[in-house]
Amino acid sequence: MITQLIAQTIVNGINVGALYGLAAVGLSLTFGVMKILNIAHGEFLMVGGYMAFWLLTLRGIDPFLSVPLVAVALFLLGMICYKFLFASIARFEEETKVKNSLLVGFGLFLVVPQIARLLWTGDVRSITPPYSGESFPFLNVRVAYVPLGGLVIAVAVILALHLLLTKTYFGKSVRGTSENWKAAKLMGINVERTYLITFAIGVALAGVSGVLVGLTQALTPDVGMEWTLKALIVVVLAGIGSVGGAFFAGLILGVVEAVGAIFMGPYAVALGLVIFLLILMLRPQGLFGNE
Amino acid sequence: MLKVNQIDVYHGDLQALWGVSLEVGKGELVCLIGANGAGKTTIVESISCLLAPAAGSIWFNDERLNNKPAHRAVQVGICLIPEDKGIFRGMSVLENLELGAFNPSSRKLRYETFKFVYELFPVLESRKNQMAGTLSGGEQQMLAIGRALMGRPKLLMCDEPSLGLAPIVVKNIFAVIKQISQSGVSILLVEQNVRAALRLAQRGYIIENGRVASHGEVKDLLNDEKVESAYLGTA
Repeated sequence: MITQLIAQTIVNGINVGALYGLAAVGLSLTFGVMKILNIAHGEFLMVGGYMAFWLLTLRGIDPFLSVPLVAVALFLLGMICYKFLFASIARFEEETKVKNSLLVGFGLFLVVPQIARLLWTGDVRSITPPYSGESFPFLNVRVAYVPLGGLVIAVAVILALHLLLTKTYFGKSVRGTSENWKAAKLMGINVERTYLITFAIGVALAGVSGVLVGLTQALTPDVGMEWTLKALIVVVLAGIGSVGGAFFAGLILGVVEAVGAIFMGPYAVALGLVIFLLILMLRPQGLFGNE
Repeated sequence: MLKVNQIDVYHGDLQALWGVSLEVGKGELVCLIGANGAGKTTIVESISCLLAPAAGSIWFNDERLNNKPAHRAVQVGICLIPEDKGIFRGMSVLENLELGAFNPSSRKLRYETFKFVYELFPVLESRKNQMAGTLSGGEQQMLAIGRALMGRPKLLMCDEPSLGLAPIVVKNIFAVIKQISQSGVSILLVEQNVRAALRLAQRGYIIENGRVASHGEVKDLLNDEKVESAYLGTA
């Protein structure tokens, strides 16, 4: 009985953890490449979630099919935000860059939820396609279709991102820029353009995680900050620069929180912050970071 | 081929170069010598469009390069190996070389260039899957040169290639630079190792406090008393 409970909890934890991982990967990418900390990452996630919600409600588009639509839309939104808000920051020294990006991020954090509230009201929404709530038995646990689909999409997206970064010329130029932007310029890499596209990819990743969040959890205009924090914890846990590492760290956080909930009830949420502090104290470069 | 006309360059509010002019012809090997902080690095960084001159102009063939983005300089065939070598330490040797051929026109030719670079530096081929940060100093300099060659440069600028390397390695590096020069690539060499640089080059520029103090054929510079006492020591 107790083993079944724990097994079921781990399955649920993996489902949530995959979302944490996906949400964190985008944040980790922009921070690693551009040294910009995008505090508004969760706001983009919220926007992506709402977009899928309205696509289903108004047009009847299946949320899993709307994933690519949201990705493209948020990619464009990311490009616009970069051009108007972040591009001028990218030119500064590293330290100024982090500070100024925090200010811009907080600005978005204040403005975007208000816009969302005006447009879509503050009601709690969740994306509920007809098949939500259905599940199938697997060994001695039950696996629900929707979170499983979310897990599959999260893994597929992470894998695609990993291949993009390691196998393509563009991806290599992104990694080169992240390591040494000056040398990247000397290779003929258009660093400005690399920043633009990287930022947009980060925002698109936030949007995709938003769809999955909307499918399994509640959406309100205010969920952004919560997810930014989760993503930050995961990034610290994983260390900067490893896509697979960020995803894996997300899974760890998800499982730890879920199992913790059995013993600690609602206080399990604090476990994430405990991990955050422990990692900062004991292994500041993160579990999978190099330096 | 390269013509730098009276450029003034600032680092923030600080003026680093005053009316510097220099020229590098096709296939020529020219050296820039001078003390630390004289402005040699600033000159090559301006030519690479990492820094924008406040006055004056930089021409490469018939294109004016001032205020162009840095990737434009690479596209026209200018390549700078920076003083810190600018190796991507967390990427493999092969990936470093691939990024050297990032520019579309050199990317198309990269498989041929790979062969050429591996012939020049066999050690790079045997270490191609190793992280670049794990290479020794001399190997990193070879990687930096190999990576620069991947871009098929018309003008190669080396900023202090001998810095921090063992004498035997320095000798090899200079031999390679000479070989590259003989293959028709123009070279602008920044060196503190003045004697070696003057032995290698055809012409030289002496930079003092952000100005060109004197320039000319290497044999004239070697015979110049001022140069001799300031840089070569009386032997």
